[in-house]
Amino acid sequence: MAEALRRVLNAGCAARPGEDGAAGPPLLLLGAPRSAQTSLLFAAALEAAGEGRGSVLFVTRRPLQSLPLSTPTAREHWRLQKVRFQYPSSIQELLQLLASAHEAPAPTPSLLLLDGLEEYLAEDPSAQEAAYLAALLLDTAAFFSHRLGANGSCGLVVALETQKEAEADAPHLALLKRYFPAQCRLQPDALGLGQHCCLRASLELGKLSPRTEWSVSFLPCGEMKVTPWLAQASKLSPEKKDSSAGSQSLTLGCDNLPGPGSPSDGILTSETGADSKT
Amino acid sequence: MAVALPEVVEELLSEMAAAVRDSARMPSEARRWHQIPLDRNVSQLGHELLSRGSYLVLVPDELLLSLEFVFGSSAIQALDLVDRESVTLISSPSGRRVYQVLGSSGKTYTCLASCHYCSCPAFSFSVLRKSDSLLCKHLLAIYLSQLLRNCQQLHVSDKQLTDLLMEDTRRIKGAAGTWTSKTEA
Repeated sequence: MAEALRRVLNAGCAARPGEDGAAGPPLLLLGAPRSAQTSLLFAAALEAAGEGRGSVLFVTRRPLQSLPLSTPTAREHWRLQKVRFQYPSSIQELLQLLASAHEAPAPTPSLLLLDGLEEYLAEDPSAQEAAYLAALLLDTAAFFSHRLGANGSCGLVVALETQKEAEADAPHLALLKRYFPAQCRLQPDALGLGQHCCLRASLELGKLSPRTEWSVSFLPCGEMKVTPWLAQASKLSPEKKDSSAGSQSLTLGCDNLPGPGSPSDGILTSETGADSKT
Repeated sequence: MAVALPEVVEELLSEMAAAVRDSARMPSEARRWHQIPLDRNVSQLGHELLSRGSYLVLVPDELLLSLEFVFGSSAIQALDLVDRESVTLISSPSGRRVYQVLGSSGKTYTCLASCHYCSCPAFSFSVLRKSDSLLCKHLLAIYLSQLLRNCQQLHVSDKQLTDLLMEDTRRIKGAAGTWTSKTEA
């Protein structure tokens, strides 16, 4: 289940179940209030940490004041220990961090996360600098993948808060999309379902790929629930399970939805065994 | 498309590489022409390069024309850069790599190895802003050098590689002037 959540963010594993340790294409996470993106990235960080392929590098401008999620997974401290947080306070520092990534000591990250790109873009960089930042992010993830070698590739997710209505004005967004053809958009869901915050996540791996959608809810207790998006959804109900990961029911929260082989803490194991090392 | 080349372009480059490698087995005298056949249908710059006995002579006309069709004037300029062995692959003990291309003006440009980025103004303008071109001549030269296997190799320390990657940012910052930071509303 949580593996499938990582797939939501790392994109592509759902489409290629046979690949071991494949992180999927680099992903741009757009839209939505910042807190939702941070929680989603944090969930991905914990999941990747659990895979044991490498560490996780979580980069953001402002230090996290508290854990974005309160879930059984988040409370497993050994996961958190594998997540390295870096807080570059400017574009220049961020570039320095990426440019010197090959000088950093082991373990090599298997997931690179950048939260709050809009805060760095607020420094008003030129198009060339924004392009270099995007390109250097890709290059750093590619270098980590090279270092991981047989242990799979390094995923990359960059979160950028945008307002849908004002997206045309978002600085350098078109440019960023050229470097990140795979995008996941988070939009507030009008239905709400009585939850604290409900979002619709739309994943597009590329311009010509079909869109996959999920419903993401954040509950007051700090839990997060992810389910496949149903246009007429009024109730979260257990789905008939089929082989595609996109239709699995997921929860990191208090309710345990039934699923194949789910242990009592509600974390389903991946059915494709993508975590196994070759 | 900032990450990969369209398939049709990759195929074109492969065909060119094959043509050159096949011709490389010819004796060296046969590879240098001093007279240009009148029926070769290439551009004026192409004629100049041919007269200098460049790599161009090894590539069938239809491939050259295809290359020129896709990349415009960058095509011949890129081949010229390849001819002059202007492409250097720089690596450090970490395994990280970056390219540097010595431009025709004598300036050196840095290009990333894993995705399309070049520090030259043409990349910024034609590729990114106007979407006129897929690649600048330096990036195209890198692709061609890889296929033709004539990259220079340079090994530097990890620290030096970091400095190289950061060199661009100092240049960019200088061009943009002082930073303005927007205050939150």
